[in-house]
Amino acid sequence: MMQSSPLNLRRAVILLGRIFLGATFVYAAYSKILHPTFILHPWFAFQFAVKANLANFSGEVETFKFLSASTSSLLAHTLPFVELALGLLLLIGWRVRYWLTGVSLLLVVFLSVLTRAFLLHLDIKDCGCFATPEPLNAMTLVRDSVFLAAALLCTYFAFVEARKPHPWTAKESA
Amino acid sequence: METFSDFQCPACKQLYLGTSRQLNDNYVATGKVFAIHRDFPLPGHAYSRIAARYGRAASQLGRLEQVEQVLFENQEKWEQTGDVDGTVASVLSPADMTKIRALIKNPGIDAAIEKDMAIGRTYAINQTPTTIIHYKGQTYPVVGIVSYDVLHQFLDQLLSQ
Repeated sequence: MMQSSPLNLRRAVILLGRIFLGATFVYAAYSKILHPTFILHPWFAFQFAVKANLANFSGEVETFKFLSASTSSLLAHTLPFVELALGLLLLIGWRVRYWLTGVSLLLVVFLSVLTRAFLLHLDIKDCGCFATPEPLNAMTLVRDSVFLAAALLCTYFAFVEARKPHPWTAKESA
Repeated sequence: METFSDFQCPACKQLYLGTSRQLNDNYVATGKVFAIHRDFPLPGHAYSRIAARYGRAASQLGRLEQVEQVLFENQEKWEQTGDVDGTVASVLSPADMTKIRALIKNPGIDAAIEKDMAIGRTYAINQTPTTIIHYKGQTYPVVGIVSYDVLHQFLDQLLSQ
């Protein structure tokens, strides 16, 4: 008989983790694409707002002084859409372990860049993380470390769960 | 087009140097756009308010352009020393400086700055620079730095509506 997946502790952690991380990534992407200039219509004004916001984000990436201006611009025009895609894929819940791996890797990169800037005492007035302008400080590092710990735990659990046969496909015991 | 700006804010400097001057030459001077400078000195900046007073006083003498330019171009210097007066004096005549020094003591200057800030608050402005573009009854708030290339494409499309 077909049955739904049993909700053990690991599955519960993965479910909560992917909703939390997925929503966070979608919000981060929304913050970069539609903020601080928020214009939805007409279409040309929306396009202008998105261009202005991504250019703004590019300036924020440059303040970290680890990429050239052109590479910062390329990253600023790509990263928000990668965040959006990963966030949506996590929320959808398909092939979660792969997207959780992607999120974990991205968070490792974020945390490394933020830690480097913090140790170099770079004057980062806005880390560009979310919609509200936020200077880089120790709390930013703590918050991102929590995100990374959650992502790593969920990734590990997702791979463990993936090794187990799914109740729908496993042979029914007598 | 109203630009809410703070003379001590680095992003405002970037907007001024990278965008506003070209905008003035190509849109304001040609009468396509009417631009208004609005003071929005942020509380976190020690010399923003005094710089705004000098800017406001200079505008009463028709010298805002020169004062705006010198304050933004030398922002890193006077924000260290607090020497706004010396920075402004480097581009104005002694006679103008005497008038400006008298004007900045006038409570009307502070009242005008407060009025700009009150207007800014009606647009829920919480960071500088913020530019509010008005056209045919529509309002388009633009927050932060926007490059001239991006802005001029938008203005051309807006003006062709």
